[in-house]
Amino acid sequence: MAYFINFGLIWKYIPEFLQGLGLGLVLAAISLFFGMIVGILLAFCAISKNKFAHRFASGYVTVLRNIPLLVLTFFCYFGLPDAGIMLSKNASFVFALSLYAGAYLTEVFRAGLKSISPGIVEAGAAIGLRKYQVMLSIQLPIMFRNVLPSLSNNFISLFKDTSLASSITIVELTYLARKVNTITFRVIEVWLIVGLMYMVTCYLIAFLLRLIERRLQIK
Amino acid sequence: MKKGLAIVLVVTLLVGICSVAFAAVTPYKSKLHEVLERGYLIVGTGSTNVPWHSINEKGEYEGFDIEMARILALGLFGDASKVQFVEQASDQRIPNTLADKVDITFQFMTINPTRAQQVAFSIPYYTEGIGLILKTGGKYKNYDELVAAVAAGQTVTIAILQNADATANVQRMVAGSKDDQYESQGLVYQAVDSGRADAGAVDLSSIKWLASKNPEKYTDSGFAFNPQNYGAAMNPYDQVWINYVNQVLLDCMTGATYPLYTAAYEKWFGETPTAPNIGMPSMFRAK
Repeated sequence: MAYFINFGLIWKYIPEFLQGLGLGLVLAAISLFFGMIVGILLAFCAISKNKFAHRFASGYVTVLRNIPLLVLTFFCYFGLPDAGIMLSKNASFVFALSLYAGAYLTEVFRAGLKSISPGIVEAGAAIGLRKYQVMLSIQLPIMFRNVLPSLSNNFISLFKDTSLASSITIVELTYLARKVNTITFRVIEVWLIVGLMYMVTCYLIAFLLRLIERRLQIK
Repeated sequence: MKKGLAIVLVVTLLVGICSVAFAAVTPYKSKLHEVLERGYLIVGTGSTNVPWHSINEKGEYEGFDIEMARILALGLFGDASKVQFVEQASDQRIPNTLADKVDITFQFMTINPTRAQQVAFSIPYYTEGIGLILKTGGKYKNYDELVAAVAAGQTVTIAILQNADATANVQRMVAGSKDDQYESQGLVYQAVDSGRADAGAVDLSSIKWLASKNPEKYTDSGFAFNPQNYGAAMNPYDQVWINYVNQVLLDCMTGATYPLYTAAYEKWFGETPTAPNIGMPSMFRAK
């Protein structure tokens, strides 16, 4: 049976699609924020001389990076209520995505911290800065500048991962696309438009973050 | 020479006339006779939908569709085991039936006017509906409590399979409730299990089966709507076969073989159907 492309039925859903896209960006941004907190803490654990902290960070990264995000999402959404933890849909997805992002960002930040010349850290200590002051005033700023390109890539990945939120009925772009499919049966048109929206958004995010990277570059 | 040719022509003519006459009086051979001669029934069905058709640990087909096929085999051969099941996907039900790859299809097939233009349906052997499944020991014990909760201003969430009519159907079931649309039926059950949803809207037969097998886990809310009949599909050009199948099904639902249908119904839906009337036949009574 021939299939005739007809975008006419889809246009009226574009405002809804844009709302879904916006929600995806918000979920990714919040998850990146919490993921960065997890990542920074664990990155310091990973480079620490304390064996327990080092192993904990290494164990966390190994476990979380080897679990599919969808499984983690289902665990947080369907599993945690059995343990008495009933987070809202959005909160449970952000929780899952933050844990997941934390594992990847730990490695990013660990590499960023390792790339800092030991001489700079020693110089900080030599001028009388305490350990936490060295971390906050010297290591973190340098690390952030070093890892900004990786951070951008991670944000784009997280944004694309938000499509999995549709599995727990969060009304983001992929969820809306499936819903429109069941109404219009214009499967090719819907996925083409949604794919294009994801692609353009990711490209714009990458473009903006490259601008920021250039600004922060040492000349 | 001419005489010989004339004899040959006359004999050929006579043989031709006899063949036509013989063909005219030979009884029409129905699927019914073909099946009886073969000695077993070939039934198209599926294997992945409990309680309709599935494969158990012994590798045998089981389910309510399977029971219906066995009742038919019992009627044909006096032996319910004389059935060969042919697994087919849902979209193969009509092609396989029309191509005579199977004698009949028992595969939770909804009778509708469009399909009835292609295949002949038997009389219905089950009327499916959408019901609401609840978690046993959960917030709500039955349908009335769900409705009362909405009336009291509480948020009642109903999980349902994502489809075009999902929101409308949920509103028809519990007006004012909130719907959560999942991409698979499995996730609907998980939503009920985890307390993410107060009820799940699924097929009534599945609810009955789950509630009868796992009463500690699931409860039937007692509400159902959206009736649709399930019937067996057959080749439409064999009225003898269609009549026979209908007779067997009608009898097992309202007549002498009623205990067979009852046993199957109790096994797969955990309920005992109303017994047939004595006196005026059940099918002619309004209720």
